[in-house]
Amino acid sequence: MQETVNKRISKRTLTKSFHHWFYGHLTCFSQEHMQTFGYLTSMLPIVEELYPNKEDQKEALKTYTAFFNTEPQLGSVVIGITAGLEEARANGKDVDGETINGLRAGLMGPLAGIGDSMVVGTLIPVILGISLGLSTGGSPVGAIFYIIVWNLLAYFGMRFAYFKGYEMGDKAVEFLVGAQGKAIRKAISIIGGTVVGSVAATWVSVTTAFKLRNSSGKVFLNLQDKLDSVYPGLLTAGFILMCWWLMAKKNVSAGKTMILLVIIAFIGVLVGFFNPGLSY
Amino acid sequence: MTISWLQAAILGIFACLSSMPGMAGSSIGNYTLGRPLVGGLVCGLVLGDIKTGIACGVAMQLVYIALVTPGGTVSADVRAVSYIGIPLAMVAIHSQGLVATSGTAANLAKSMGTLVGTVGTVLFYGTATMNLLWQHYGWKQIDKGNFKSLYFVDWGLPWISHLVFSFLPTLIMCKLGASAVTALKSALPMDGIAMKTLFTVGAMLPCVGIAILLKQIVEKPTDFIPFFVGFTLAASLKLNLVSCAVISLIFALIFYELELVLNKRSEAPVTDGANDDDDEEDI
Repeated sequence: MQETVNKRISKRTLTKSFHHWFYGHLTCFSQEHMQTFGYLTSMLPIVEELYPNKEDQKEALKTYTAFFNTEPQLGSVVIGITAGLEEARANGKDVDGETINGLRAGLMGPLAGIGDSMVVGTLIPVILGISLGLSTGGSPVGAIFYIIVWNLLAYFGMRFAYFKGYEMGDKAVEFLVGAQGKAIRKAISIIGGTVVGSVAATWVSVTTAFKLRNSSGKVFLNLQDKLDSVYPGLLTAGFILMCWWLMAKKNVSAGKTMILLVIIAFIGVLVGFFNPGLSY
Repeated sequence: MTISWLQAAILGIFACLSSMPGMAGSSIGNYTLGRPLVGGLVCGLVLGDIKTGIACGVAMQLVYIALVTPGGTVSADVRAVSYIGIPLAMVAIHSQGLVATSGTAANLAKSMGTLVGTVGTVLFYGTATMNLLWQHYGWKQIDKGNFKSLYFVDWGLPWISHLVFSFLPTLIMCKLGASAVTALKSALPMDGIAMKTLFTVGAMLPCVGIAILLKQIVEKPTDFIPFFVGFTLAASLKLNLVSCAVISLIFALIFYELELVLNKRSEAPVTDGANDDDDEEDI
């Protein structure tokens, strides 16, 4: 490789590549090649700019035909990194398809884990929790708040991740998986956990109608009041823990857990433990 | 309340846009239009009753607050929850004569939406399987050097999958389901066992949603502590969500500093230990 021309991807092409990823990463999803085609469409503008020759383009694109799937929001950083690597390869640096694919395959797992717990497991529930409060009583304010806040965060966050990846290469990921990144994730998980707890206490309510009456019909044991005097929301917390235990410890699927709840509800209604107090 | 063919068709288009591999992209599609809260707003606008739409959306959102799809496996389908479940729940609430913002209406919405959402999983697998055809076509085009057709494969052809697995099911189920739901009223009396069970389950279903979220964040038993602190702040002290989040900031800060110190300390002895080993080998 004697090429001395220093090729650089134009800002316009990078933005185009990012937009292709932002929109199309999951549009042609299949169980076999999840985000592969989204990846190909976002690398195509870059490959076309870097290699004028059709055969070179084909060779470069071949790298990205390998399976790819990660958490798409945080995963934008990977596309940025490979854009940088592809530029290096076009300039005759010591980068080949194997290097790029090794990096991609090594990053997609950890980033999916971090992204699923940070973005889908914490950020979205926190914004949704606040939005639910704003929409109490049927007001559209909460829904509009969610649409605006989430989309601004998603678009600019993904854009930031993409360009950081392009500029910094794999150093961009060190921040996420390194010591400081670990500390930040720990801190965020504390906020996430607390908010999820308050969402549960505010919005979920499992109550019992179980009451014991004496001979004159006077209630002498109201189970719901007794439980709440021990710990407010005890029954709700108990049900949540039971569902968690079934799914996390016993590997019961969410669907089967729901069916179990139907059975518990049915028996509970039969014996009078549950009574939603319906009337016309 | 009835749903016209036109209204059902509009909901069908939103179903195409919002599903997991949806046509609006995952940020705008799945994570915005697909959230039941936003779906509630859209359904409310389309069916002309924003208040009931939002009330159903809020109720359903609790069940699916943590709709994580790790590795592309789904336990419920957002297009079915938001654009089939919510419209049908709205019709049911109207036909039962319930107050839209009442707890009973919310519980009815949760039961109905969750049922539809679980059944809707088949739509997800249908779409993903049909997309295999387009991907197959895409590989052939790459071999021929026809790179531009990648855009057509990624952005154009999947619309056909959605026409079959999003648009038509939504159109048909919204249109026909509405009359079925209205007929339900006479079949199942409100004070019967079936309806009581349905409403009780509705109250319990968000427990599954919260539990899925916990599964994501709890690795060891002590990870439950932030959850119960939040629960206690809200249930016992009656603080609202933002206040709970603000209180958690101070703990987050402490843990951040602590973790940094711990990391530094754990790094130091490791290097010492390595040196010791080297020394022994030298001897």
